[in-house]
Amino acid sequence: MIKNLLWLTLIVLFFLAPLVGAVELSLHEILQGNTLNATIFYNLRLPRVLFAFFAGGILALSGLLFQTLFRNALMTPYTLGISSGAVLGAGIAIKLGLATLVFGIGAVSLFGFAGALLTVFLLIYLSQFLRASGQEALLLLGIALSLFYTSVLMVIFYLGSAIQNDMLIRFTMGSLSVIGWKYPILIAVAALLLLLFVYRYKFELQLMSISDEQAKLKGVNTKRVTLLLLAVSSLAIGVLVSISGPIGFIGLIIPHIIQKLYPVNITQRILKTTLFGGLFLVACDMLSRTLQTQSELPIGIITAIIGGPFFIYLIIVNAKK
Amino acid sequence: MIKCANLNISFENKNILKNITLEVQNHLSILGANGSGKSSFAKALSGLIEYDGDITIDSQNIKTLTPNARAKLLSYIPTKLELYDTLITVEEFVLLGRFPYKESLFSYAKKDYDIVNEMLAFLGIAHLAKHTISELSSGEQQLTLIAQALAQQSKIIIFDEPTANLDPKNSQIIAEHIKALKKEHTIILITHDLHLAAFVDSQVLFIKDNSAKLYDKEFFSDTMLEKLYGTAFSNLAVRYD
Repeated sequence: MIKNLLWLTLIVLFFLAPLVGAVELSLHEILQGNTLNATIFYNLRLPRVLFAFFAGGILALSGLLFQTLFRNALMTPYTLGISSGAVLGAGIAIKLGLATLVFGIGAVSLFGFAGALLTVFLLIYLSQFLRASGQEALLLLGIALSLFYTSVLMVIFYLGSAIQNDMLIRFTMGSLSVIGWKYPILIAVAALLLLLFVYRYKFELQLMSISDEQAKLKGVNTKRVTLLLLAVSSLAIGVLVSISGPIGFIGLIIPHIIQKLYPVNITQRILKTTLFGGLFLVACDMLSRTLQTQSELPIGIITAIIGGPFFIYLIIVNAKK
Repeated sequence: MIKCANLNISFENKNILKNITLEVQNHLSILGANGSGKSSFAKALSGLIEYDGDITIDSQNIKTLTPNARAKLLSYIPTKLELYDTLITVEEFVLLGRFPYKESLFSYAKKDYDIVNEMLAFLGIAHLAKHTISELSSGEQQLTLIAQALAQQSKIIIFDEPTANLDPKNSQIIAEHIKALKKEHTIILITHDLHLAAFVDSQVLFIKDNSAKLYDKEFFSDTMLEKLYGTAFSNLAVRYD
């Protein structure tokens, strides 16, 4: 009952989301076309809602994937420092004043993408020095990298001009604001590609969620599957974060919420986690656009304010059992 | 038949087993003190750890087998079931034993489900099929692990200290299953439990001081046990005739 109500609410919000914001839009105006409000709807609102939907899907599914592959509830691209890598990359591009476009993609996004990807390679390289079961050590490595990146970013911040710093701060807070359809389509492709790969390897994932040994003994090439899934997920996350900046907590809490709502094995939670993550981020984004603040509240702040207490609640409920 | 030729296993630059050369006819129990290398030997056999030298099973060198072919040849049952996704049901867990035979990318076949149900019934845990793993007792978990290995339909089944966490009644149930499985499978049993080893009744590989030696029935004589373990077992109920 509560489950259905929750889904229903999120789906209703999803359809309302393109209509609300700084300017209220009516269906009548949109269907007329050619008006300013119709332009707002088709070029700003709709792309933004769909961007948020696929972004939420990527974040939630990557969270589930990382948690399962590493058998650790705290493993997400965000906690492993991959998002911070993107922020640092973007920060460097902003500081260098790079404004060139490559294939229509801004230098800030490209540098962000490179930062995320380099962090993944660095983690894979460093993980060779850990024992096979060094999941906690890997998490610590990620946190250490994150802190290091933040310090470098601080140096850039102190060297930067006021304009550069403003751009930098906006990027680090996360934003789902997009204009036109280029980025929503890019993110949709990334999300569907990630979903396809995870779905294709769902039984391998199920075995690896038991243990690496058990998966190997059943004939899974665990190294290959791990690298492949990490690569696809990191690509999707890298593309996303390079556009939107880091958006925390979705990857951490959505898989846990779905696990609480649906106590079934991982293969049956893949699609639900992805959808719920997408709808949840759309709802958060809608909130950020409708709150009566001076300017739009950054999405990263909303997800953290909702996600933090909810996560604490989950931990307490779990500990009681 | 399992053959080892000049087998050397080391871990973090420390030799665990040195120059092991042996031929096992059929079933095997592996005994030895804690840390003597029993599990390492079994893990080398299963392809989980690196080793020097050669291990051949029915004249196939296991280093050259694909992971899939190895899974069809050999299954390994750990002492204890530890998993991250505790929401998996018994039926779903046993179904994973069918992974090496899965033909479709996205689902298991009806035949796979039939085999799973057959194995659950065979081990007397069909009523637990829809329960999640976390709801099971240690004995039931061990039976679930065995069901998964049986669903894997591999010729060789390796048991890694199967009774270490069990009470005497469950130990007895598991012991009888292991003995019964000898008919259709090659059983490799790693254990500290002399009763269990004597009951299962196979050749014994005793590992001590980095080397291993094969014994037949004479292993269970009082004098031999005292010689190997360095202590007398005057209260041991085992009498091997």
